[in-house]
Amino acid sequence: MPVAWLPVLLGLFLTGAADAARLDIELGRIEHAAFTAENVRVTLNLVQATGTLSIARFSALGRVWADLRLHCSEFAVAAASIECGRGTLTLPGSRETLDVQFAYDPDAGTARAQVRSAAGELVRAGLASSGEFRAVLSDVAIGRFAEVMPQLAEWQAQGRLNAQIDYRPDPSARITASGRLHGGGFSSADGLQAAEGLGIEFDVRGMFREGGWDWGGRLAWGEGEAYLHPIYLAAGPVLEAEGRLQGDRLTLGNAKLALEGVDAIEARGDFELDPLRVRRAAISVGGADLGRIGPDFIAPVLAPARAATLRFAGTVGGAAAFVEDRLVGLDLSFDDAAVAMDDVDVGFGPLNGRLPWRADSPTDIDIAVGGGHWQQLTLGAFALAARVEGLSIEVPRLAVPVLDGRLILGDLALRRIAAGWTGRGNATIEPVSMALLAEAVGLPPMSGVLSASLPGLRVDPGELALDGTLVVSVFDGYLRATNLRWLEPFGVASHLFVDVEARSLDLTQLTDAFAFGSITGRLDADVRGLELARWRPVRFAAELRSSPGRYPRRISQRAVQNIGALGGPGAAMAIQRGFLGFFETFGYSEIGLSCVLRDGVCAMDGIPGARPGTPGDGFVIVRGGGIPALNVIGYNRRVDWDELLERLQRVIATNVPPVIE
Amino acid sequence: MNAPKQIRAALGAVLMCFALFAAAQGDLEINTPAIAAIKQSMQARHAQLGPLFASGAIGLSRDGNVAVRDASGVPLAQRAQVNALISSENADRAALYREIARANGRPDWESDVRATFAQRWIDRAPAGWWVQRNGGWSQK
Repeated sequence: MPVAWLPVLLGLFLTGAADAARLDIELGRIEHAAFTAENVRVTLNLVQATGTLSIARFSALGRVWADLRLHCSEFAVAAASIECGRGTLTLPGSRETLDVQFAYDPDAGTARAQVRSAAGELVRAGLASSGEFRAVLSDVAIGRFAEVMPQLAEWQAQGRLNAQIDYRPDPSARITASGRLHGGGFSSADGLQAAEGLGIEFDVRGMFREGGWDWGGRLAWGEGEAYLHPIYLAAGPVLEAEGRLQGDRLTLGNAKLALEGVDAIEARGDFELDPLRVRRAAISVGGADLGRIGPDFIAPVLAPARAATLRFAGTVGGAAAFVEDRLVGLDLSFDDAAVAMDDVDVGFGPLNGRLPWRADSPTDIDIAVGGGHWQQLTLGAFALAARVEGLSIEVPRLAVPVLDGRLILGDLALRRIAAGWTGRGNATIEPVSMALLAEAVGLPPMSGVLSASLPGLRVDPGELALDGTLVVSVFDGYLRATNLRWLEPFGVASHLFVDVEARSLDLTQLTDAFAFGSITGRLDADVRGLELARWRPVRFAAELRSSPGRYPRRISQRAVQNIGALGGPGAAMAIQRGFLGFFETFGYSEIGLSCVLRDGVCAMDGIPGARPGTPGDGFVIVRGGGIPALNVIGYNRRVDWDELLERLQRVIATNVPPVIE
Repeated sequence: MNAPKQIRAALGAVLMCFALFAAAQGDLEINTPAIAAIKQSMQARHAQLGPLFASGAIGLSRDGNVAVRDASGVPLAQRAQVNALISSENADRAALYREIARANGRPDWESDVRATFAQRWIDRAPAGWWVQRNGGWSQK
C-alpha cells in the first residue's frame, strides 16, 4: 500500500500586530495509511517558544478521537521541521495527561515521537521517509487499546504489553509485531470464560496482498491459568498459525497447537468475524494420551458430574469437521484405550478400533474391546459393531463373555434425546456357572447355572426395564426373576425392582452353602416387589414355605437355634427345649415364614393359618412332624431389618455349634 | 444475615420444600427409599453449595436446576469443580423429579413436578440468594 504524507497547508497567517508574538498554523488534513488527522492547528508562542497542537478529529484503526490537544513547553519550528519537547497531551473525556515529545519533518516525511504515562507506560515511534514505521511499547496496559477494540473492555482485559511493531509500505505493506504480554487476564460477565496471570510471548506478521492480509504467527503461553467452560487450563500450550484476512473473512490455512500429552493438534478453517461464524473448519488430534487429556478435557465435557471418578488410559486420535457452525463429522480412533468409572466400579479396555460419525449419513463403528469388569465380575473380550446415524445407534448383536457364559444383547436401537437415552432391544444370558459366579462375587460355593431370556429390553432416561425371565438353576431347584426394572442405574438413587419366585430349592444344599445348620427338605419362595437400593433390599413382600410333595423333612439343632437367634433377645422362639437337648435332628411337617419389609422394619408372620397353641401373639415358623418333632414359634412380629441382617451375618460368620440349655 | 445463618436457612428451605410440595399436592408420595437417597445426597452436597449460593456464584434457575450466575469470585482452578458440583446436583434433581412422578404412578408428571419444584425452590430461597425469573437473575 503506498504511503503518502499529504499535509495540506490551508492557511498561514499572522494575527494582528498586537499579537505578533503568536503564530497560528493551520495544517488542515494529514493523511497516512495508518491514520487521518483533520483540522490540525498549531499555535506558537514565539517569545516563550511554546506551542499547542490541536486536532479536531483523529482517525486510526477504525476509531475516531475528537478534540485532541497537545501543549509543548519546548516548541521549535525550523526550516524543515517541527519539534515538540516536554509536551503534554490531554485526551478528551479524561483527566489523564501524557508526556509527549515529537519531531516532524513534513518535507522529508519523517517523524519520531515518544509518549509516556504517569504509570510508566512508554511508547516510542518513528516514521522514516520511506514510509517505514516502528513503534516500541514498554509496559503499556492493554486496556489502552479498548478504544480501538471495545471487546477488551467487555472482557475486562488486563495485562501489560512489551512489543515492537514494524510497518513497511513497499513493495507490499508488511506488519510484524513481537513481544510479550504479562500479568494478562480477562473474564466474561459470568466468569465462565476467564484467565489470570497470563504471560504470552507472541510473534505475528502480516503482508497486504490483493485487498487482504496474509498473516502468520506464534503464541507461546508461558504463565497463568484459564477456565474456558468447562475446561481448566494451565500455561504450556503453544500455537502456530497462518492464514488470510480479507474484510470480515478470516481463513485459517494451518494452525498447530502444541499441548502436553498430545502428539499433534492441527486445524484449518474459514470464518466470518462479524458476527463470528464458522463457514468450514476441521481439526485433527493425533496421539492423545487419554491418561493426560481424559481428566482435563474429556471428563469435564462429557460427564462433569462424574469427572472425579472417571479414569482413562491408552491413546486416542481423531478429527472433527464443522460446516456453518455445525459439527458434521467426527472420526475417533482408539489404541489400547480404557475407561473406568470408579464410583459404580465399571470399566472397559483395552479398546481398539474406529468410531466414525456423520451428521447426515449412517456410519459403522467397529471396536474391539479386550475385556472389562463390573464390580467383582470380570468380562471377556468382545467386539462392538454398531451403526450410528445422527444421534441414534443400532447394535444388531453384542456378545459379552461373562465367566463361562455370555450376555448377548440383540437388536438394540438407542436414540439420544434431551433427557438421556431411549430405546429397545433384547437380552439373553447364556448359562453362567453358579460355581464360578458365586466365587467371583464372594458367595458361598454353590452349583447350578444362571441364564436369562429377556425379549423386552427397554431403555428410557433414568430407567432400564427388562421384560422376560432370568432363571437361576441352583440348589437343585430354580429361582425365576421377572419384571426387572433398574431405575437411575448410575445415580445415587440407583434401585432395582424385581419379582422373584423360587421353587423346590434343596434346603440341605442351601443351608450347607450358608453354614446355617442343616435343614433337609425343599423350599418355595415368592418375593414380590423386591426393591434393591444399592443392592440392599429396602422393600419387598416375601413368603417362604415348604415345597409341596413327599420328601424327607428334618431340621438340625443348630438350624433351630439359629432361627431362634434371628429373633433376637426379645423375640425368642418357643422351642420345646426339653426335646432339643436329646436329639441332633428333628422331624417337621412344614416351614413357613413371611416378611413384609417397609421403612426398615420387617413385619413377620409364619405358616398361614397355623396356630401356635401358646399364649401371646406368636406365629408358627416350623411345625413339627414325625418323631422327635418340635415347633418353632416366633413372637416378634416387627423386626428391624438391619438388625436382622446383622444377626444373620453373625450367625453365619460365627458358625459355632449351639449351646443347648 | 451472616453466611452460617444463610446456610442453615437454606438447609431448612431444602427440607421445607419437600414437605411443602407434599402438602401442596395432597397425598403425593415422597417417602420412598429412592427419594430418601436423593434427599440425603442433596443435603450432603449442600455444605459445598451453600457458600456458593450465598456468594452469588450460583443461583436457582427457573427450570428447577442450579446454574452458574457469576463464577468470578471462585478461583479459576476450582471452577471446574463447581461445574462438576452443579452437574451432580442437577443430576440428582432430575432423578428427584422423575422419582416423585414414578412413586405416584405418573411418570408423565415429571415436567409438572419439575415446574412446581422450580417455583418452590425460588419462593423459599433465603434472602441474598440469586434466583432466575423471567426477567433474568434477581437477588432475593
